[in-house]
Amino acid sequence: MKMIEFKELTKKFSNEFTALDKINLTIEKGTAFGLLGSNGAGKSTMLRLIAGIYRQEAGELLIDGEKVYDNVKIKEKIFFINDETIQFGHHTLKSLKDFYKGFYPNFSEELFDSLREKIGLPFDKKLNQFSKGMKRQAIVIVGLACQTDYLMLDEAFDGLDPAMRIIVKRMLVDAMIDRELTVIISSHNLKEISEICDTVAFVHHGQILFAKSIDSVKNEIHKIQVAYKEAPEENAFEGLDIVKAETTQSVRHYIVRGDHDQIKKVFEATNPIIFELIPLTLEEIFIIEMEGKGYGYENI
Amino acid sequence: MFNIDLTSRVPIYEQLYKKTVELVMKGVLKEQTQLPSVRSLAKELGVNPNTVAKAYQQLEHDGIIYSVAGRGSFISKINHQNLKEYAFEDFDKAVIEAFKASVTAEELCDRIKTLGEGYEND
Repeated sequence: MKMIEFKELTKKFSNEFTALDKINLTIEKGTAFGLLGSNGAGKSTMLRLIAGIYRQEAGELLIDGEKVYDNVKIKEKIFFINDETIQFGHHTLKSLKDFYKGFYPNFSEELFDSLREKIGLPFDKKLNQFSKGMKRQAIVIVGLACQTDYLMLDEAFDGLDPAMRIIVKRMLVDAMIDRELTVIISSHNLKEISEICDTVAFVHHGQILFAKSIDSVKNEIHKIQVAYKEAPEENAFEGLDIVKAETTQSVRHYIVRGDHDQIKKVFEATNPIIFELIPLTLEEIFIIEMEGKGYGYENI
Repeated sequence: MFNIDLTSRVPIYEQLYKKTVELVMKGVLKEQTQLPSVRSLAKELGVNPNTVAKAYQQLEHDGIIYSVAGRGSFISKINHQNLKEYAFEDFDKAVIEAFKASVTAEELCDRIKTLGEGYEND
């Protein structure tokens, strides 16, 4: 039962604003889970609920089968890297480490030292003298050293330079292999999500549009580039779930949902002179999904 | 060794698979050569370890590599039939492209012969 479960969970801020509306979601232990969504979709709210910062109005949130709010035993298993780091300004890296060490029994001094050496952050300087990226690095290494079962990163790679991004990703990979760390990442950088995560959820207007493995997300929608000498019959594409069709000059572009092989078969039967199936990037899929479902989410 | 294009649309595991096959075909990866571990390759590339594991599973399934528990993954005895099929896949695609560009079968044959002569003289 090692997992995070949202069950019919509703979170409201004041009476007028429902941030999350009866969501259901399971995050299995050992996955690298990416939360994607438009601004204000509810991603950070979800992370703060998991961290036990917020309490829901209705429904349940269970971590390893237990409620998290005010539950010290469960909170010891979770580390939350907030996108906001201003609250640590008066800490030095040393005092920040000692502060968290007091809460997390699995804290490893050894791991902390080795990570700090890799990154080379000053130990006795106040964090408010750090740059944005350095603050982020500081909290990431403290978080990893706490050796929790679950690690959440809000706006994961914000403020980190390219060299530091790869170092942080390598640290995450190590923890994923060594101790089956469950990572939950929210980010607008979809390229990075698709590299490090194996499962993603699309969040929009307080609802989960879907949650699936990245491979199946990518296998279910395709972009097709096709050209004809003679235009095929109107009904040639019947039975295909065409999301979008565009024609520029003589080349047609289609976005089609469904099985790769079946789509290929239908198109090849129409005798194209050019036929190309182009994999979509996660970013393109995100935009298509948001366009398609954005304003009609009541119907989902 | 594994030059992966993280900006490419092609899934990372597919790129890893193709790259390995290509390196075997070119003789860069010889029989019994040890591949990097899942961990070190995932770390090097900064990608999810499952992605690397998936590529290795597929390679093992197709008989291109084999794994020894506790020791790692190695290049299998080269199956020339497999490699031929793989080479033909790319060849077929190239031939179709050539036909689309109005190259005739005869012209292609001549070209192949010329290329073959050059290869044998090497």
